[in-house]
Amino acid sequence: MRNTLLIAGREYAENARTKGFWINLLIFPLILIASVKVPELLEKKAKPVRNFVLVDQSGEFEEAVASGVERFEARRVLQELTAWAMANRRRDLEIPEVDLEDVPATGISDLLLGGSGSTLEGLIDLDPGFLQRLLDPEGLEQVVAAIRPFLDPEAPDFVPPKRRFERVPLLPGVSPDAPPEEIVRTLKPYLVDEDYPGASRPLFALILIPEDAPQQLLRPGSLPTARSDSQDGVQFWSANLTDRNLAEVVRDALDREVREREFLRRGVDAEVVAEVQRTSVRFVAFDPTKQEGEEAVSLADTIRKWAPVGFVYLLWIAIFNVVVMLLNNTVEEKSNRIIEVLVSSATPNEIMAGKLVGIAGVGLTMMAAWILSLVGILNYLAGPAVSWAGPLLAVVRSSGLLPLFALYFLAGYLTYAGLFLAIGSLCNTVKEAQNFMGTAMVILMVPLFTMVFIAQDPNGTLAKVMSWIPFYTPFVMMNRAAASPPTSELIGTGVLMVFTVFAMLWLSGKVFRIGILRTGQPPRLLELVKSLRTPRQLR
Amino acid sequence: MSDAVLPHAVVLEGVTKKYGDFTAVDDVSAVIPTGSIYGFLGPNGAGKTTTIRMILDIIEPTAGAITVLGASSALAVRERIGYLPEEKGLYKKMKAWAMIAYFARLKGMEKGAAKRRAYELLERYGLGEFANARCETLSKGMGQKVQVLASIAHDPEFVVLDEPFSGLDPANQQVMEDVILDLQRRGATVVFSTHVMEHAERMCDRILLIAHARKVFDGTIPEAKALIPRTVLLAGPPPDAFVDLPEVASARRLGDGRVELVLAPGADPQAVLRSCFERGLVLTSFEHHEPTLHDVFLQLVGEEARTASFR
Repeated sequence: MRNTLLIAGREYAENARTKGFWINLLIFPLILIASVKVPELLEKKAKPVRNFVLVDQSGEFEEAVASGVERFEARRVLQELTAWAMANRRRDLEIPEVDLEDVPATGISDLLLGGSGSTLEGLIDLDPGFLQRLLDPEGLEQVVAAIRPFLDPEAPDFVPPKRRFERVPLLPGVSPDAPPEEIVRTLKPYLVDEDYPGASRPLFALILIPEDAPQQLLRPGSLPTARSDSQDGVQFWSANLTDRNLAEVVRDALDREVREREFLRRGVDAEVVAEVQRTSVRFVAFDPTKQEGEEAVSLADTIRKWAPVGFVYLLWIAIFNVVVMLLNNTVEEKSNRIIEVLVSSATPNEIMAGKLVGIAGVGLTMMAAWILSLVGILNYLAGPAVSWAGPLLAVVRSSGLLPLFALYFLAGYLTYAGLFLAIGSLCNTVKEAQNFMGTAMVILMVPLFTMVFIAQDPNGTLAKVMSWIPFYTPFVMMNRAAASPPTSELIGTGVLMVFTVFAMLWLSGKVFRIGILRTGQPPRLLELVKSLRTPRQLR
Repeated sequence: MSDAVLPHAVVLEGVTKKYGDFTAVDDVSAVIPTGSIYGFLGPNGAGKTTTIRMILDIIEPTAGAITVLGASSALAVRERIGYLPEEKGLYKKMKAWAMIAYFARLKGMEKGAAKRRAYELLERYGLGEFANARCETLSKGMGQKVQVLASIAHDPEFVVLDEPFSGLDPANQQVMEDVILDLQRRGATVVFSTHVMEHAERMCDRILLIAHARKVFDGTIPEAKALIPRTVLLAGPPPDAFVDLPEVASARRLGDGRVELVLAPGADPQAVLRSCFERGLVLTSFEHHEPTLHDVFLQLVGEEARTASFR
């Protein structure tokens, strides 16, 4: 026991000192933070004002496009304003938190977009002039003043976001009535890389509405344009293929405009249409497996359903990382013969147990660090900007996934550790070990490929079958954990898992005892099986 | 620790190790007296390392019995044994002192004592300034010294060193000899294997000579030397003049004109000189040299060693 702890301590200290361990420890929280913060930063800092030229030869749509862009800008101000208000709200005011258990599963996009989108829509519906006011400094001041009483007295001033899109006039020398091809030809260099006069940067986009655009409408029954390079209709020219915001804004604005005109032409009141369009049935999804009265499928359920995928992934990375450490250490000790000194100082069982415990410690440290940083970062992020973080945290904490995670980590670790320890003990060099690793890796990869399918159908045939394959039990059962698999399966696979762990450790213990003193080529399987029957006879 | 000192630290009785059809060690018996320095000699592949591993119970003999410090398995008394394996390795990332202290602790020493002992040993054998160096930064010789110190840090009663001199320069070989002699001075029994006869001759109280898996000789160095006949080189009368001397077994003329006498077993070269004088044989030169262990080795296993090493 004493020796086991000593060996475990050394293994732990050695591996916890490696660069790889610290990289592993830090990379997870860094990625987590980066995945939230980098887009936010890009949003705020990196995106410059984008200039566009609008040429409306039809003379009918200029107003519609301009107000569409304004609406887009106003919405951005509103979003920032909401975030600012939520972040600086007075703590003594009771503002009901969004409870994920009550948000319908379909509302996830709103939630992920930051701020509750439907609330904003409602606000805009009530006061159509509200958006317009946000863009006007005076109007914005009034709105801010109206919110102030609900805020912390020390709240910083609200800084409205920079405009994203700004219209610039057409070059003085170009006639707006010139043929479209000519306008495009003249502006092309500015769209590619030349600074546009008066804007000190290249043009982001050119929106060209030809004279006949109002006649080129797509109607039900009309064939879509046959050729993709057809220049009929509204043209949107931009070298930036990734930022589609402006294209969408313009298109939406134009669609809205032509539809409105169509309503007018057919004698339908546009106001009525707008109202009709926002009419819908109440639709709630129910889960029959849940408690009576709580059957509604909430957003929390959705998070709960997908959270295990994240856990399976963490489980996999953690197990894979540490068993490779185990393998490398064993091969190192074998190749430099330290193992002989160890064997003369401690029994093979003590050595093996020491290694298992020491490396498990490394793995647990890594996972503890990950989970702590996950909780820490979610806590830190939890707020108006990333409103899903707090509730997600609550779901993860309350769903009982963490204890299961720890349990399945231990079981998975011990199973694979046994396998890799046995491989390590049979190989003299890392190179030899890598040959065996290939096979082991293929086995280990499978749960990664299936984790999404299993999350979608956690009690389906694939999930059920794979749960009973001992090497996959920990991953697959983790995968299914949130879908409350039948108790019989939970217990059955659990027993099988424990049995597998013991069988693996027993078998690898035998191989280990023989392997660690063995020199020369790794044995063939048959030779190995034979030598297992007659212990200590293998050369 | 046992109170009564046993006369023999190790007893080997008919020890045999077979790997399938291959016999690595064949029916070897020997006793290693407590407090002695004992050499395992033999050509490459003779079975020295296999014998050592069996003594330490790292591998089990196919037949025969081994008693170490009174126990039937070395593992039962492993805290009283120190072992340096043939191929030397260290944990690359560990510091020299930590490496020594770690193995001392595995052998039962307490944390603080092990650390103090590690520093003390490194200081004593000239590695004090490297105590905090990582093992991977040490030269081969230094690394080997660290490993030796790691194997003796817990002050064992019985130390087994497999090829402790290999890979060391002459100065460090001397340090290694000092280590072994220090161990003996403190009362430990030391077994080391080597195929460099000079070390064995200088240091060993007894040797075990193995060739081709079999024991060829087991005893003290003088006994070993007595196994091969002594020779005397002289110049003067022809070979025939000496053959009837009682101390002489045979005589022959060498290429340079001198005569080589092979003496009868147990004969004293001085007696030969006296006999020549009595008989009035006039010698112009008389040269006698003691056989070295090297001669004994070549005589006993020379032919076998040459074939064995190229197997």
